[in-house]
Amino acid sequence: MKIISRLVLLAVVIVAGVWLWTILFPSPEKIVRKRLVQAAAEASFKSGENPLVSAARAETLAGFFSTNVEININVLEFGRHNFVGRTEIMQAAAGARTELSSLKVEFPDMSIKVSPDKLSAVADVTMKVQAAGQKDFNVQEMKLTFQKIGNDWLITRVETVRTLS
Amino acid sequence: MRVVVWAVLAVVGFKLSVVHVQVDGISMMPNWPDKSVHWVNRLAYLRREPQRGDVVAIRFVPADGTINQLEPPHVMLLKRIIGLPGETVAFVNGQALINGEVLDEPYEKDGCDWNCAPVTLGSDEYYVVGDNRAMPPEYHTHGKCERNRIVGKARL
Repeated sequence: MKIISRLVLLAVVIVAGVWLWTILFPSPEKIVRKRLVQAAAEASFKSGENPLVSAARAETLAGFFSTNVEININVLEFGRHNFVGRTEIMQAAAGARTELSSLKVEFPDMSIKVSPDKLSAVADVTMKVQAAGQKDFNVQEMKLTFQKIGNDWLITRVETVRTLS
Repeated sequence: MRVVVWAVLAVVGFKLSVVHVQVDGISMMPNWPDKSVHWVNRLAYLRREPQRGDVVAIRFVPADGTINQLEPPHVMLLKRIIGLPGETVAFVNGQALINGEVLDEPYEKDGCDWNCAPVTLGSDEYYVVGDNRAMPPEYHTHGKCERNRIVGKARL
């Protein structure tokens, strides 16, 4: 009986240890996944947001990208748009807040491939966007490239993908 | 105890094999109306390959990388297969042509005037399109779909 209880205790300690390890030292894939969720939250906004808060959030959103980030969007509804660098992202975020009263951005499905050297990753995601007053949401497949720059995983490239070619 | 085990197995089995979906959009009208609710059989293509005329759920994110194969995608496209691997698909004056021959499509009710250049499919590609061809082709998501994007067969 004593042996069994000791084995159970050992199993619990091992499971707790592994869990704690994954919390303290998350894998690159988990970090990228978390960054995507955070970026989507920062890109979203509700009506009546304080302008100071909006500016701060646009800056926070830009912080998810590298300084030389390239964004190539080619979607029928919105046309072709290219952004380079954080400043243009902040301008685009501010522009969206001016034109729309609210926006909800989500990445409901993600597939992340981390490079063998664990210094870069490619995330294939489904982006779901719903703007104020829209009955239906827009869905778009996107490819985002991440690079580990210093201690941060930053987005260096964003492009739209045609799901059906 | 045995009943509980069987119940758990049944629930897990059902969750793994069937996905509950709600249509959002008009591209499959009138057969699959907007906001209608359906089921997708994820086991439909375990023993056989997708067939022409099947309505299938298609994942946006390719089934590779770290995606959990057991967990179904949250957002999918719902389309009908009209072209099979190796075939050439085109639209001329609203009629779908497969290898140059007109495809009989009883599910396509409204008629259309689509003209799309021929597309030849690869060995693992299917041509998928919605039933609602009344909308202009540029606003209707259709085209080549890789086999590994097909999640399962949808049921009315």
